Amino acid sequence: MSNFWDRYGRSVSPCHRLPPVLKIVLAVSIIVAGVAIPIEFWPAYGVLGCVVFAGHSIARVPMSYLIKRLLIFLPFILGMAVSLPLSQGFERGWDLMLTILFRGLLSFLVSLWLVNVMPFEQLLVTLRRLRMPVVFVAILAFMYRYVFVIWDELDKMRLAWKTRSFGRGGLLFRWMTLARMLGMLLIRSLGRAERIHGAMRARGWDGQVRWLDDR
Amino acid sequence: MHIQDGTLSTPVCLAAGAISIGAVGYCLRQMRDSLADRTVPLTGMMASLIFAGQMINFPIGLPVSGHLMGGVLAATILGPWAGCVAITLVLFVQWALFSDGGLISLGANVLHMGVIGAIGGYAVMSTVRKLLGGGYRGTVAGSVVAAWLSVLAASALFCAELRLSHSPTNFAFGSLFALTVTLHALIGIGEALITGFAVSAIFQQRPDLVYGSGVEPASRARVAEVGRFLGAGLVVALAVGAFLSPFASSMPDGLEAVAEKFSLPTSDDPVSGFFADYDRIPVSASNWESVSVSVAGIGGTLVVFALALLLGFVQPRRQTTLAEATRE
Repeated sequence: MSNFWDRYGRSVSPCHRLPPVLKIVLAVSIIVAGVAIPIEFWPAYGVLGCVVFAGHSIARVPMSYLIKRLLIFLPFILGMAVSLPLSQGFERGWDLMLTILFRGLLSFLVSLWLVNVMPFEQLLVTLRRLRMPVVFVAILAFMYRYVFVIWDELDKMRLAWKTRSFGRGGLLFRWMTLARMLGMLLIRSLGRAERIHGAMRARGWDGQVRWLDDR
Repeated sequence: MHIQDGTLSTPVCLAAGAISIGAVGYCLRQMRDSLADRTVPLTGMMASLIFAGQMINFPIGLPVSGHLMGGVLAATILGPWAGCVAITLVLFVQWALFSDGGLISLGANVLHMGVIGAIGGYAVMSTVRKLLGGGYRGTVAGSVVAAWLSVLAASALFCAELRLSHSPTNFAFGSLFALTVTLHALIGIGEALITGFAVSAIFQQRPDLVYGSGVEPASRARVAEVGRFLGAGLVVALAVGAFLSPFASSMPDGLEAVAEKFSLPTSDDPVSGFFADYDRIPVSASNWESVSVSVAGIGGTLVVFALALLLGFVQPRRQTTLAEATRE
């Protein structure tokens, strides 16, 4: 499951070999350009789109993966974009809708590229070099370590629930069960956090984050 | 749910980002005093939990399903400061790993879900809790009300940001506001339900996990309690009123135009008998904005009130005594 997030982040390509800071700078500048260019210069969107597409193909991100992610993403942005002309009685707001769609799509694809040319730990190291607050990076690293554990636990609870209820019951009842499940998950994981904290204390943790390359 | 890049203009995103950076910086400083060396494990675990909890799909009887946003839940457990930081990190990971939400609009998303959701939500929650005299009742009712209001407030803020981002000639602000807030009044009920059930489950098992749960009820008198609940209701009503006041003055133009365009044959027409019922549509459509928002506002308030009452006052006796017994 650990390659579920940054699935192609560890494959080998010219894109992956770029210096980490350069990757972030590239991605950010394309996103900023996409947001800053007014819709009147729409050919520029096409050019940026081609650049991003080229980036994806050089990084060997499979087309099927991109399409799968797009299918999950599109309904959300479509819903948000369509609500504009919808609220105007389909008279105005179309240009705004297209702007939102184009820019959103572009930034989505660029972010996807960044994730898939850069494993998460590399992102963390780079963020620290870029002077992000140390606590933030430490918590992010902690999240990356434990979110899979929680996911597994959630999966187990869901499986247990399904085997007992076959997904039956009224809507409200199901909501109640699911929310209780969330509550139980919370209690369990906070208990785990307490145990982890104890273990960290036992190994000399004093709230100060230290890194191997620190002086 | 998240705002993508390009939806809001860059200056608006930067302004929202500046507010968020200030708020999160303040939160970090507050946490240094209160959580100390527990910050990393506790906040990290909560952030992972919210993140995983969003994977639970709540069926709503349609092909689509909803999920939790979690601002109020995080703040109820961790308190406002750590809750806001946890939500910020969740949003960051969602951008960095799922490309959900944008990079430039990350600040806006943090403002909506972290600052309004966690800090604002906690403010509402603790106010209602205090008014209800603390305990199970106050906490659950408070979190239900806060969850609903946080969704509503975030959607209202989103409309305001959209209005600031694009020239007002492009679209009618009033009707967009109406549509968005109406939708979110419904979505907020879901958030309120999930948060309420989850908080109630936690409070029954481990009341010590809830942030500031040591608030003791000030008085046991029934009458005073009812009075407090009315006071809490007043706070909610005032907050809702604050959201709805913009529409009192806004003119329904977009939909009115459609209504005029599609206005159906007058009574002179031979087909009028057939369309008799439809004559009412233009009328109702022109009032759609104010009607729908009022319905959403009033209906939502009522539903949330009922929820708060139901969850807070129908208290499972046995489990509470068990919890109390273990506490002693």
